[in-house]
Amino acid sequence: MNGNFESHQKVYSQYQLAEMFTINPATAAKGLNILADESILYKRRGLGMFVAEDAKEHILNKRKSGNLRQLVQELVLESERLQITEQELMDMIKAALHEEGRK
Amino acid sequence: MSLSTANLKETVKKQYFFKLKANIDAISSLIGIQLIAVLFSLGGIGGSLSSSEGLRIDINYYSADVVLVFTMIWALVTAITITTKPYRNHDFTFVTNRLSSSLSNILFLLTGSLLGAVTANLSRYLLQVIGYFVFDQQVYAGPFDFPIFILGIIMSALYIFCISSIGYLIGALVQVNKLFAILVPVLIIGSIFLDASIQKELSLMQVFQFYVMESNFVFFLIKILVTTALVFLASINILNRMEVRR
Amino acid sequence: MSVIECKDLTKSYLRKKVLNQISFTIEENKITGVIGRNGVGKTTLLKIMAGFIRETSGEIKVLAQRPFNNLYTSVNTIFVDDQMSFPPALQLQELLEAAQTFYPNWDMEFAQRLFKYFNFDPKHYHNTLSKGRTSTFNAIVGIASRCPITIFDEPTTGMDEAVRKDFYRALLKDYIAHPRTILISSHHLEEMEDLLEDVLLLKNGEVHLHIPISDLKEWAIGLQGPASVVLPWTEGKEVVYQNQIGLDTTYVVIKNDLSEAELAQISLNGVKVIPVRASELCVYLTNETKGGIDDVFINR
Repeated sequence: MNGNFESHQKVYSQYQLAEMFTINPATAAKGLNILADESILYKRRGLGMFVAEDAKEHILNKRKSGNLRQLVQELVLESERLQITEQELMDMIKAALHEEGRK
Repeated sequence: MSLSTANLKETVKKQYFFKLKANIDAISSLIGIQLIAVLFSLGGIGGSLSSSEGLRIDINYYSADVVLVFTMIWALVTAITITTKPYRNHDFTFVTNRLSSSLSNILFLLTGSLLGAVTANLSRYLLQVIGYFVFDQQVYAGPFDFPIFILGIIMSALYIFCISSIGYLIGALVQVNKLFAILVPVLIIGSIFLDASIQKELSLMQVFQFYVMESNFVFFLIKILVTTALVFLASINILNRMEVRR
Repeated sequence: MSVIECKDLTKSYLRKKVLNQISFTIEENKITGVIGRNGVGKTTLLKIMAGFIRETSGEIKVLAQRPFNNLYTSVNTIFVDDQMSFPPALQLQELLEAAQTFYPNWDMEFAQRLFKYFNFDPKHYHNTLSKGRTSTFNAIVGIASRCPITIFDEPTTGMDEAVRKDFYRALLKDYIAHPRTILISSHHLEEMEDLLEDVLLLKNGEVHLHIPISDLKEWAIGLQGPASVVLPWTEGKEVVYQNQIGLDTTYVVIKNDLSEAELAQISLNGVKVIPVRASELCVYLTNETKGGIDDVFINR
């Protein structure tokens, strides 16, 4: 996301990851496999894992459909608890969007 | 990871050298005990006095027997000690099974017995030297005969080794059940009292004579070696079923 | 390939069964955490594997052989705990040398590096070390011996935080370079959970769970919210833990077999969905009652 890895660049192996974060290599491999299943990484036999062409889009899509939606749901839920009206909520979001220093 | 194999002979050898180092205290206590025994012996084990026409002859007999007895007691105690938990656990920190542990213990006891036999026999000469220099006495020693000297060492080593096997058995029994720690002394002392009460010759004495009174060296050798081997075999079998570090 | 196989393994002391007909297999070159409450038979199980004590019934095979009184198992196995005993007459350096003669895979250079790193004095004696230092020294012996089966029973007893971290990292790095089968028992799952591949959870002398740690982390889910909303969701589910917080809020941990849609629905209903940490879950799973210690205080 932040440009740490370019497309088609080789990512760390499970052993490198294991050493870096002091985690079991099998766990690291599972993590890499999850990313491969989501087409963020692709495997090359004998060479390791590489960043997919459209990895960035995949991640963006996933965050949009998953994380962001969930955040919005929680936001709505919380504003219900606080008895904030729809209008008030919209205004708060707009204010946050146009806050100084953004864009 | 590549698997390793271990053979009994190699393991026993490693354990034996490990034990020589680890039980160095036992060896130094042997020397200490023998020195004390020498001090005791200096009093002489018997003396006679005769005087005639103003001439007084004072004869003292010195013998290294006390040193030998002390060495035997050392062998008994050491053998019991190395069957105790801490000593067995030392083995199980590294590579071992119960058989190799016992075999290396026996080798260690054999080494101690040999060493003890040599020093005990040499102490006789130490006694003579002390008698000569410190008490300024005229020393008349039996003639020095090398084959006899060696024979003496072998025989005392066998006695000491045999005693250590008994110690090892007692130790093994105590490990199985602590009751043996009481039972064994009770049995020994009990048999003495029983024999004494019925005015019979002590059974322990009879057992002792079975070995000591044997005049044929080869028979003596067979008797004592077979006894030692059987007693050790019994201990190995007992210890073979023991659990460690519970 | 499986290196340890247990079938209906039972161990009893007098009449009490410490291990009750347990069966499991440990695969080669995996790090397995043996987890369970005090006195649940962890140490007993590990000591049977090491050949120290004898099984009462059932079968155990370590490297395809019965471990009790077995030289082959002994040379390929090391058992490390804080009770490891060394002859008091030998200095630490001499102990390392002794270990070298016994263990064929021993890496002396590596052992010396660890020894220096942890500031041991080669001339000191083992029985003068403090509790934490004893554990550290024993751990060095355990790692440097590179035994195909390495067993650590509560290896971090007495170690301070920094040394614990160092120990786990050293173990992991050496494991990556020289893969081997490792079993670690500990009360502190959280400090070693990243290191593990599998978890063997013992309860009442039986194997309660034997699954990869990653599955354990997702095995359960916590629901927190008004009792009236939460409780219907827990119906028909395996409830692991339940506790009342305040007047109306309930916290329930259930086995996580809900679908994503169901979870989304639950959170829309105003219930907080909380992931349950592996260590937390193990505490719940090994509790005798669903409410934990709080159950002691109800209905008095």
